[in-house]
Amino acid sequence: MLTHKEVLSTLEMLRNEHLDVRTVTLGISLLDCASDDPARFVDRAVAKIGAVARDLVKVCDEVALRYGIPIVNKRIAVSPIAVAACACGPDRMVEVARALDRAAKEVGIDFIGGFSAMVEKGFTRGDLALIEAIPEALATTDRVCSSINVASTRAGINMDAVYLMGKTIRRAAELTRDRDGIGCAKLVVFANIPQDIPFMAGAFLGVGEPETVINVGVSGPGVVKKALERALGANPKLDLGQISEIVKHTAFKVTKVGELIGRRVADGLGVPFGVADLSLAPTPNVGDSVGEIFQTLGLGSIGVPGSTAALALLNDAVKKGGAFASSYVGGLSGAFIPVSEDLNIAESARLGFLSLEKLEALTSVCSVGLDMVALAGDTSPETLAAIIADEMAIGVINRKTTAARLIPVPGKKAGDKARFGGLLGEATIMPVRGADCSAGFISLGGRIPAPIHSLNN
Amino acid sequence: MSKVILSVVGHDRPGIIAAVSRVLFLNGCNIEDVSQSILQTEFAGLFIAALPKSLKIVNLNDRLMEALGVMGLSVSLSEMEPSGTWKSPPSEPFIITTMGADRPGLVAAITELLAGFEVNISNLKAVFRGGDNPLENTMIYEVDIPVALDHNLFREALYKRGGELGLDVSLQHREIFEAIHTV
Repeated sequence: MLTHKEVLSTLEMLRNEHLDVRTVTLGISLLDCASDDPARFVDRAVAKIGAVARDLVKVCDEVALRYGIPIVNKRIAVSPIAVAACACGPDRMVEVARALDRAAKEVGIDFIGGFSAMVEKGFTRGDLALIEAIPEALATTDRVCSSINVASTRAGINMDAVYLMGKTIRRAAELTRDRDGIGCAKLVVFANIPQDIPFMAGAFLGVGEPETVINVGVSGPGVVKKALERALGANPKLDLGQISEIVKHTAFKVTKVGELIGRRVADGLGVPFGVADLSLAPTPNVGDSVGEIFQTLGLGSIGVPGSTAALALLNDAVKKGGAFASSYVGGLSGAFIPVSEDLNIAESARLGFLSLEKLEALTSVCSVGLDMVALAGDTSPETLAAIIADEMAIGVINRKTTAARLIPVPGKKAGDKARFGGLLGEATIMPVRGADCSAGFISLGGRIPAPIHSLNN
Repeated sequence: MSKVILSVVGHDRPGIIAAVSRVLFLNGCNIEDVSQSILQTEFAGLFIAALPKSLKIVNLNDRLMEALGVMGLSVSLSEMEPSGTWKSPPSEPFIITTMGADRPGLVAAITELLAGFEVNISNLKAVFRGGDNPLENTMIYEVDIPVALDHNLFREALYKRGGELGLDVSLQHREIFEAIHTV
């Protein structure tokens, strides 16, 4: 029998603390659609997505209603297109992206990820064609997301790919200059990309994954913040060990809900359940912010001294609670700090508490990395590449995922505001100290070798 | 061997369950199920017990009345009929919660709707203390909703009824509560 208190506390989480499932992402392998005829690949891929994902939104809506838990986003992740459509040249790759966009719209999902390539050790022809196609593909589609893995702890950092991505990001921004460079909001550069991310823009279905699979991304910054506020209200003398316990308990609850919903959707679709991604994913709404948690912990703002330690505690406690709740944890699994997608973080950047350099430091103890960071439109491809290279190095050396989603907003400069709309939010453009001082290093090219601890066999 | 269902009601105090179970034990009865609840100052207990063949129900009733009557408790004892019991259709467990200002007829209005949809209540806890605090004016129903029932139709009707009564109603699958509160 449930107690009065249990029932009412659950309702409180649902109604006032934004407990929801942030995304249910259906992975669909497109490897069997491969063809030497690009048109045939497109036909097969569109047909397969339509057939497999036909009921995704319907089943998600039914489960959400039945359980009273909102499923905020329904998404699809496909095999890396650079592999599945490796016979395509750049023009054909753009056509593939448009076809994916149409397929996404037909089944009514929010985003489709997998316009992706893994190039940490070098390029195939398909990889180069896909990367060349990215700017136009993202400018002429609405729902396609792209991710490029340029580094890994096993392979090192492909600096040629890093430089190429610096140029690609600039071009993608230019082609969407009328929308503040929104093309770049759908493009992430990774080190150590996981094969099963449900979150965009990094979602794709790795080649070691099953034919179809449901992965879920849980939510919960609002729930964590309220739990901490309640506990600190009842006992203002809580220490950080006790605070860590509260975060763990809360992450446990959030993850259990996420996995339950994911499994019910998977059952409804007749698809295996894959993983729950334990990331604390904010939205640009008051009360659903990772940044606000820092203030609850007694810091004036995210970005001030103490922020890295606080984030380390938060991220670790979320993982511990989540790992106890679910045996199948994957994806990124850590706190997200996307500047524009979190009202509080965006405000901290505007006020100057959060700099690019501090953001980089924070990413050494959390997942993702430099996420949704708006930069001046004239930031050079070499500087963009150098920022990416630094972020990749943190991931490679620390055996973790890091990523960069940088947006050089055309025509705007540091201090201006960039507006992306919807869940992507808006952000003040951050200054880059020492811009245009990295070209010599970046133009050296080649591959930074894998670190010594890659030799662990 | 026959079974009886026994209800005992009266002012709560220490020793009620002890007194009931002592009479049942001394008369050779085997307790199969017990449930008790306390509402404000009042105790209510339900017992299902198997009787030995040699014991007549009327005799057990006399002995219970004798032992519990002096404690100011009222006793009701009856034989359980094996036939004619209600059989639950295949169902899923849900929790209905309502919050809102107290007024006469709230329980009647909600339960009438549930009955109309053949939704069975397996547990109900309602508290009405008046005032504006929603947490002091709640009803929590644990219900079994037949799988065959049109869920959307039921949900709409329930929310509509809640709105008419000025209640904030929620209907959620019990698994959510269990997922959150069980390790």
